[in-house]
Amino acid sequence: MKLNRLAQVAIATAATAGLAVGLLSPANAAPKTTVQIVQSNALTGLNPSVSAMNLTFNTDVDYLEQVGFTYYNNKATLVDNTAFGTYKIVSKKPFKVQYTVNKGRLWSDGTPINGIDLLLTHITAAGTYSQIAGLGDPADSDVTPAFDSLGYGGLYEQHVVGLPILSPDKMSVTVEYGTQVPDWRLLAPGVFPVHALMMMAEGKNKLGTVAENNAARERFYKAFDTYNTASLKKMGAIWSKNYNINVVNASTNPLLLVGNGPFMIKSAVANGAVTMVRNPKYNSGPKVKSLQRVVFKVIGDGTAAAQALKNGEVDIYAGQPTADAVAQLKAMAPAVKVIGGDQAVYEHLDLRVGPAYGTTEPYNGPFAGDSQKAKDLRTAFLLAYPREEIMTKVIQPINATSQLMNSLMVFNSEPSYKNIIAKSGVSKFTAGTQASRTAQALALVKKHFPSAAAGSGSVKIKLLYGQPSNARRVAQAALAKAEWAKAGFDVDVTPTSGWSAFLEDPKYDAAFFAWVKSAAFQSGNVGTYETKANYQGYSNPVIDKIYKELGATPFTAAQIADRFTKVDAELIKDAVTLPVFQHPSANGVNAKLQGVAPSPFSPNLVWNLWDWSFTN
Amino acid sequence: MLKKKKNQEVSVTSGEQAIMNKETEGLSQSQIVIRRFLRHKAAMTSVFVIFFIVVFVFTALDNKIGPVKIPGWWKFGYDEILELRLEGCPEGIVGCPTLDVLPPFIDGTGVGLGRHPFGQDSIGKDYFAMVMRGAQRSLYVMVVIGFLAGLIGITIGAISGYFRGWIDATLMRFTDFIITIPTIIIGSVVGYHFGNLGVGFLAFYLGLFAWTGLSRLVRGEFLKLRELEFVDAARVAGASDRRIIFKHILPNAIGVIIVSITLLMSGAILLETALSFLGFGVVAPDVSLGSLISEYQDSFTTRPWLFWWPGLLIITIALSINFIGDGLRDAFDPRQRRRLTKKDKENARVQARIAAANE
Amino acid sequence: MIAYISRRLGVLVVILFGSSFILYNLAAISGDPLGELRLSREPNAQQQIVALTRELNLDVPPPLRYFLWLRGILGVFVGNADFGLTRTQQPVINEILVALPITLRLVTAATIIAIILGISIGIVTALRQYSRFDYAMTFVAFLLYSLPIFWVAVLLKEYLAIQFNTFLSEPRISAQWLIGLSIASGVFWSAIISGTRKRVLLIFAGAATANFAFLSYLSITEWFANPSLGPIGIGVFSVGVAYGVTQLSTGIQNKAALHSSLTMAAIALVIYYPVQWLFEQDGEIIIYPLLVITLFLVAGFVPLKFSRIDRGPIIRTSIISAFIMGLLIVIDQLMQTWKPYMESDAVYFRPIPTIGQVNALLEPGNFWMSLLDALVHMFLPTLALLLISFAGYVRFSRGTLLEVLNQDYIRTARAKGLTERTVIMRHAFRNTMIPIATIMVVDFASIIGGAIITERIFGWLGMGTLFNTAINSMDLNLLMGVFLLTGFLAVSANLIADLLYSALDPRIRAGAGGN
Repeated sequence: MKLNRLAQVAIATAATAGLAVGLLSPANAAPKTTVQIVQSNALTGLNPSVSAMNLTFNTDVDYLEQVGFTYYNNKATLVDNTAFGTYKIVSKKPFKVQYTVNKGRLWSDGTPINGIDLLLTHITAAGTYSQIAGLGDPADSDVTPAFDSLGYGGLYEQHVVGLPILSPDKMSVTVEYGTQVPDWRLLAPGVFPVHALMMMAEGKNKLGTVAENNAARERFYKAFDTYNTASLKKMGAIWSKNYNINVVNASTNPLLLVGNGPFMIKSAVANGAVTMVRNPKYNSGPKVKSLQRVVFKVIGDGTAAAQALKNGEVDIYAGQPTADAVAQLKAMAPAVKVIGGDQAVYEHLDLRVGPAYGTTEPYNGPFAGDSQKAKDLRTAFLLAYPREEIMTKVIQPINATSQLMNSLMVFNSEPSYKNIIAKSGVSKFTAGTQASRTAQALALVKKHFPSAAAGSGSVKIKLLYGQPSNARRVAQAALAKAEWAKAGFDVDVTPTSGWSAFLEDPKYDAAFFAWVKSAAFQSGNVGTYETKANYQGYSNPVIDKIYKELGATPFTAAQIADRFTKVDAELIKDAVTLPVFQHPSANGVNAKLQGVAPSPFSPNLVWNLWDWSFTN
Repeated sequence: MLKKKKNQEVSVTSGEQAIMNKETEGLSQSQIVIRRFLRHKAAMTSVFVIFFIVVFVFTALDNKIGPVKIPGWWKFGYDEILELRLEGCPEGIVGCPTLDVLPPFIDGTGVGLGRHPFGQDSIGKDYFAMVMRGAQRSLYVMVVIGFLAGLIGITIGAISGYFRGWIDATLMRFTDFIITIPTIIIGSVVGYHFGNLGVGFLAFYLGLFAWTGLSRLVRGEFLKLRELEFVDAARVAGASDRRIIFKHILPNAIGVIIVSITLLMSGAILLETALSFLGFGVVAPDVSLGSLISEYQDSFTTRPWLFWWPGLLIITIALSINFIGDGLRDAFDPRQRRRLTKKDKENARVQARIAAANE
Repeated sequence: MIAYISRRLGVLVVILFGSSFILYNLAAISGDPLGELRLSREPNAQQQIVALTRELNLDVPPPLRYFLWLRGILGVFVGNADFGLTRTQQPVINEILVALPITLRLVTAATIIAIILGISIGIVTALRQYSRFDYAMTFVAFLLYSLPIFWVAVLLKEYLAIQFNTFLSEPRISAQWLIGLSIASGVFWSAIISGTRKRVLLIFAGAATANFAFLSYLSITEWFANPSLGPIGIGVFSVGVAYGVTQLSTGIQNKAALHSSLTMAAIALVIYYPVQWLFEQDGEIIIYPLLVITLFLVAGFVPLKFSRIDRGPIIRTSIISAFIMGLLIVIDQLMQTWKPYMESDAVYFRPIPTIGQVNALLEPGNFWMSLLDALVHMFLPTLALLLISFAGYVRFSRGTLLEVLNQDYIRTARAKGLTERTVIMRHAFRNTMIPIATIMVVDFASIIGGAIITERIFGWLGMGTLFNTAINSMDLNLLMGVFLLTGFLAVSANLIADLLYSALDPRIRAGAGGN
């Protein structure tokens, strides 16, 4: 044994010396330039504007391939990408905006970008154009339009007037929107390599020279301008079908891969990894710091992804937002750091007041109608909803900086938040401790059910929420049920499979789920509590009126805040809904990877990929 | 060398035979089986383990049978939200277990269960109670599937194996038909439409589809046995089909059947686990062992007890069932030799010597 | 016979028709394809619902929609079957053609190893019934049989990938592990080889010491960082293989067989260096099949030198030996690739992956690198599947062999003085294989659609993943496409099993009972 130990020491010394030499080489090597990102679903196509292709991963890849006038940063503000181009209002009445591409911006095939590359948006977003050009009516439920686009029916279509006008130098496009639209900055047209589209429509499968490309682009402009149905239909077929590939390799038509973004797809394995490499011609956006290669790996299972991160097979993983998953990521320190954040999604508790808009089946539950009794019961139910406990036990373990949300109209991080909650009357649901609020709730219930007491189950409530399993919602429901019981409510908290199909079902008295907040500032949540949009049968003319205004006229920030306060106040007065929290995110990141700053809006993680870099 | 060894073996075999014969003298078939089974140590241990687990988990929590409520011996319910234990846990960990099996002279604290021996989940539910509930559900699924699939499988297998002909062909193609329908689809449909009706429903539906392997096996066994002389003898003696099936063939096939039912049962527990992993199993807030481990696999490095307890329980149950099956197989097999103890061999030798001396 | 098969095939079509109808309807009611859109706050959500309804024909009730789908499939009779598009606009048939080989790669390796390992251990346990080894293996088999696969996977990844990779950065085995592994190996060997207590203790000590010495050597030389067998290893193992294969195949007393196998071992050693040179000429893939053919030719002709009579078994022995020795050389080459593989940028000193089927970063082109990459990616999922499925084979082959050994013809064989080896290998083993062959077929078919969880955990994108995606995203075309394949395999596997049974066992007629 003695000898053995001596021998071991000797060997260990020798080996350590040898090993030191061996290990020094990788340690001294240059920092990594390849980042590997986990995606939970596979790439399904290169054109996320096609209606079946609007999936997160497709959008992320597209974001890295095509760069336009604006993008969202991690503060949820819209940033102008001045490296690419500029836009300005040229006329207030009628409201016209001119979009100009900077000179010298290049596609990855070397072709300079100009205003014609902005025009495809009009074809794929304006149903009127589609109809006039004989490409089909997107609102028709029987026929698919030539451009099977997801953009039809959106804000752009609602406001645009006539055709966009190309400037004589072909670098600018002027679009008329009728009146000044709130959130008009969101309407900036996207950029698309129309020359590649045109060439594919003509049957080409090789990159052309710059001159050929320019000529092709002119042909596109002609077809666009003259509503050339035959030519547009061909392009529509390519646009709607040919980009829907999940395999990219040497035999892929290179015209499909033309882009102006920082990275371009090099290879994609069916349902598997997607590798993107630097676009050498990239000059349309912020400078890329040091990354040369981005690999997206598809891992469906959360635990598997976390273990892969631990094993160094991936560098960044937007973890499952559960406390245990986050704890697991945290336990990987120091090799892994956890970067928390908030998503533009908020959880709320909705109470039913009547049959959902457009449905006939009556709702006769305890919360129905405007009677004092119903209002009291609703108030009591919301009062006893243990929002703080949910925050501390379920949400803050995921993101310690998460805050209780008290406004349905703005997020806590927005500047107007403080003012709004001070005036909206939400203090009714925040004052005192949960125990005192639950006591108030019990008192309210007692008014109508004298025998009510903690655990009496005087009022029976059926709660709607999601299945298949969402551990967080189950935990929320369990915590809430216990507290509600103290106020005399007996709540059935069995989760419902396929719950989203039951949102209009009057069998359920309450529901909790989440709304994705739209990226728009002013008209952002247009509709959510409007009579014809909510699922809870809630109708309030005051709110309807405010929404109408918000959707039509642009206001100053103060004016918007004022209106948001009013909506909040109405909702609180009627006790129909309460927000709880903004959905937290927790990203496990290789500790050597710098610059990651998740954004609440799509494309959440990769929005600033150009800023990422590895240290040694 | 080889020859010598073989000779030895022959003599040992005949010695064994003598012992076996001696032992089974004057005993009925079932008595022999029971004796053999009782002697199978692993199987007997497993019987005790399963019995213990069943009694333990089913008495732990409150049971409601209709309006009658039988209080359980454990202080908490599986869905009760309790105060979350924070003190005494490692940094950043909540609800760590209070079970202490190390005696005072090692860690200075006494042996004891504490308030939450298995710890708590993130919102404060007692994990011991959840594991007990999970084990109840899993055992329940196991029994329902085992019983239902066993019943259907034996019936179909026996009928098609015994009657052969078009009945056999039809039933076997029906079996093929069932084989093609993937279990996971059943799980997802049942989960979507009847998820709220509880685990019994799921188990029932799974049982309706889990019998295919068993029925093929039983059929094979019946095909073989019906050709044997004793069946012919019974038929010649005028026994009815029913009598032949139940009195003559089934008892001979029972070993194979019981063994595959035990396999089916241990498989059922794993099936439920797999479905839970894919999100089609037991619906929260109810829990099963499968749903617990699939939910807490993330806790493997941070709160390992959430992962290990239900896992160990699943393994223990499945392992015990398998061992019981093994014991039954040995017990039912008439040709099975048993391991002779030294004492047996000694006795045999003594008897042989006495016999030789007497000659 | 042909009538029987064609009738069964006809019935197969009917079955598939029936079950596909049922499945389509079940799947159609198992979710809400519009669910996500209902929650969309986008201004054009309504338009999207219209578009999706149009695309998926949601306005047609499922029983009728089934026939829309079937119309495409029936095109198979006129030569243009249409399996439809997935919800993501990919042709279903393409998705399946991509996924199937991946699943096959995963499942085939696991099943073959499970069968070989399971049957060998099963046979040993049956021959040593009620020995310590039998008890130990029974316990281990049942234990493995009782493990949920994802539970195993989490553990395997943690210990065999993450921690093993960390170990590789300093590949020296710690003292505790050395001792622990040595004791384990001592226990293992003394359990297999039975005997008197003294003998058992001796074996235990011997095995433990040998193991300790061996592992210490590996540890000291940092073998794990740069493994290879080397000519010495190849030589030693080849001689071992020659003896072992001869013993199992013909019996060691067959001198001709032994000598030809030993000659093969010598050849393996001699060609070791030339082959190394050949392997370095990378890019010439064509040389590998040539090498294999040469190997078999040589192995076929060498025995002719040693015997003039009864050449069949001798040639067989020699070919099996040569095959294993060739495998040894391949393994050695893979081991030599290990170091450059580990040092490559793509791997960066963490060679054992936990997910995926290939390393997307590895530059293609180097045959050995790519092969090694594929193998390390197969390592964990194969092991997980193997651990769980091999237990079944152990129990089944043990049980069957025990039954066979009790048959009269075995007694007869023994009585007429055949050696124990001949009795076991020729009479008992062959008859044991009949029922095993039939369950193998069924197992294999069911596992192709059944590796859902394994694929999911290990990020393999095969049939199981397709199936899972199809269910979760309510993608009926995809689901039905996958089902048609797995359902067809399941039913035809049963058919093949029936035919195989009757082919192997003359007592049973195919279609017995059929008419």
